[in-house]
Amino acid sequence: MPCGEYFTSYESRMGLFRWRIQRVALVLALPIPFILPLLGLGGGNVSLLSQMFIFAIAVLGLNVILGYAGEIVLAQGAFMAIGAYTTSRMLTTGAGLLPSMAVGGLMAALVAVAFGLPSFRVKGFYIAISTLALQFIAEWFFNNSRAEWIHGGAQQQIPSDIGLIGPFGGLGGDLSIYYLSLVAMLFFAILSLNLSRTGIGRTFRAVHENDLAAAVLGVNVFKNKLLAFAIGGFMIGVSGGLYAVYIGFISPDYFTLALTLEHYVMLLFGGLGRVWGALLGVGVVTILQDILQSILQSISAATGLNATSLVSVFFGMVIIIVLAVEPKGVLAALGQLKEYLRKWPYAY
Amino acid sequence: MVDFVTFLDITISGIGLGALYALVAMGFALIYKVTGVLNFAQGELALVGAYGVVILGTSSLISTPLPAVAAVGATILFGIILGIFLERVIFRQFIGEPVLSVIIVTLALGGIFSGFIRFLLGPNYRSYPEALTFGFSIDLPLGTSISAAYALAVALALVVVVALMLFFRYTVTGSILRAAASDEQAAMVLGVSIERTIALAWALSIGITAIGGVLLAMSSGGAGFSIVATGIIIFAAVVFGGLDSIPGAFLGAIIVGLLQELGSFYLEGGSAVVLPVVDVQLNFGAGFGEILPLIFLLVVIVVKPYGLFGTERIERL
Repeated sequence: MPCGEYFTSYESRMGLFRWRIQRVALVLALPIPFILPLLGLGGGNVSLLSQMFIFAIAVLGLNVILGYAGEIVLAQGAFMAIGAYTTSRMLTTGAGLLPSMAVGGLMAALVAVAFGLPSFRVKGFYIAISTLALQFIAEWFFNNSRAEWIHGGAQQQIPSDIGLIGPFGGLGGDLSIYYLSLVAMLFFAILSLNLSRTGIGRTFRAVHENDLAAAVLGVNVFKNKLLAFAIGGFMIGVSGGLYAVYIGFISPDYFTLALTLEHYVMLLFGGLGRVWGALLGVGVVTILQDILQSILQSISAATGLNATSLVSVFFGMVIIIVLAVEPKGVLAALGQLKEYLRKWPYAY
Repeated sequence: MVDFVTFLDITISGIGLGALYALVAMGFALIYKVTGVLNFAQGELALVGAYGVVILGTSSLISTPLPAVAAVGATILFGIILGIFLERVIFRQFIGEPVLSVIIVTLALGGIFSGFIRFLLGPNYRSYPEALTFGFSIDLPLGTSISAAYALAVALALVVVVALMLFFRYTVTGSILRAAASDEQAAMVLGVSIERTIALAWALSIGITAIGGVLLAMSSGGAGFSIVATGIIIFAAVVFGGLDSIPGAFLGAIIVGLLQELGSFYLEGGSAVVLPVVDVQLNFGAGFGEILPLIFLLVVIVVKPYGLFGTERIERL
């Protein structure tokens, strides 16, 4: 018997679940979100968890573009809006939710690739500027009544009697949205985990670290950047579609720059480039935001001040403090803490 | 057909708007040139300037408002102090950090400023004190006219721009700033205190931006949250001018202002022009004027990313 666990093959080193404790944790933890609503979780909490799962998909998409490929994209709101409006348009044709979401995702991916095209010549903050421009253009576009024949009206009600595919597999109530977004989140989480382990993920990282060196080593930098834009854009678009169905109503006001900033807080808080970090960040920040909102709302009701606008102040401060103290995110900080405790009382 | 006097009218107001944007754009270019920070919060900083006058000069928050001119002066002073404060407390932590961190920090700062102003004053438009709004308009030759508030704002903007140019060209401090921008290490060897220079650059940049915000608000009679959009529109100006060039930022801002005014008159609403051959009215819907500079920005990024006067960076392994 070896005194511990060792990797004896490449497969076990690169496995999704490498340690025995991880497998035990998986078996014990995975059923929890599936049985939680059955254990008498309140409707508000189910709704909050659904929102968490939906945002997790968008943040994972951002993680692919920003964490893996290192392109600064400031158009989360725009991509989600494109996904949401496309899904809404597709739903009215009676195609069902899954095909509509797929088309929404593809549409967002298409726009993402189109706005990734300048990366052929420029990089870094130019992409940030052009995607920020996309955000403003998208807000104008979805508010514009003359483009109604494309997006179908700025304010839209999502039909409630929709099926998964076509009219089949009818969706009813919050619980089905909950399970749908949970499954979608798990799917995209595994997809991103696998992406980071395969050649594509390593190529993305190479482009991120030093694109010139990657190009010298024979990596097609432009193609890989576009691929990252497409994958990430698809995920963000799907998340937008789910969000539209979750709220049941879409308006350009839901998809502003504030949403982009919120997703950045989530991703940077958890840890850039790590799937678990993204999930942790979404969870913690969503719960914090919910608590903060309710506190500020009660303050507003009591004093008559518009205290709810302080949410963005709070998030701005969180993001600055996180970036100043631990730019790699909470997950990296936890790892350091673990190392410290392991070596305690010695420094090394 | 399109009437010449109207065209001239719109061109003049476009150049005027450009001169107002120029202040904010120059604030951006200055800080990028000296410290390499891309400030995505320029729009919100202009907003702080615009609302500063509302807070100090009207009785919406304080019981005894300052006289109008004093309020403007105090706001500019506040901008300068804010610049030094931000440099000391926040941006010093991020020297040498990746571009992403700095961009996100400025975006977060923008969120903090606009959220805080929304908390203090609410999301509504606030009009300026009486002394800063003028009802009459000035007649120009060829039958065009321009409202007095607008003309004064533009004139002040031009004065500030010229003063800045002279400052950079003829004073020792101006030369130090230029030296630090062109080669930080060489400037240090020659005895320039980089710390003090960076603090000065921030103070100057946010001071100019605050003036820009005040004048933007003054040209429309009061402060509103639409000023935040300036933050993205000036990117069109500075990218076209070449990011690190201050005269380029000025020129770019004039062109962007012209594009916005012409776009909002000729390409949206009832006054939209009709294409002569196919007889289609070029009406892109309300608000297209502010979108046209962004489309221009995208074209510049694709066609000429280093702009007119920008230095092209050559990368080596």
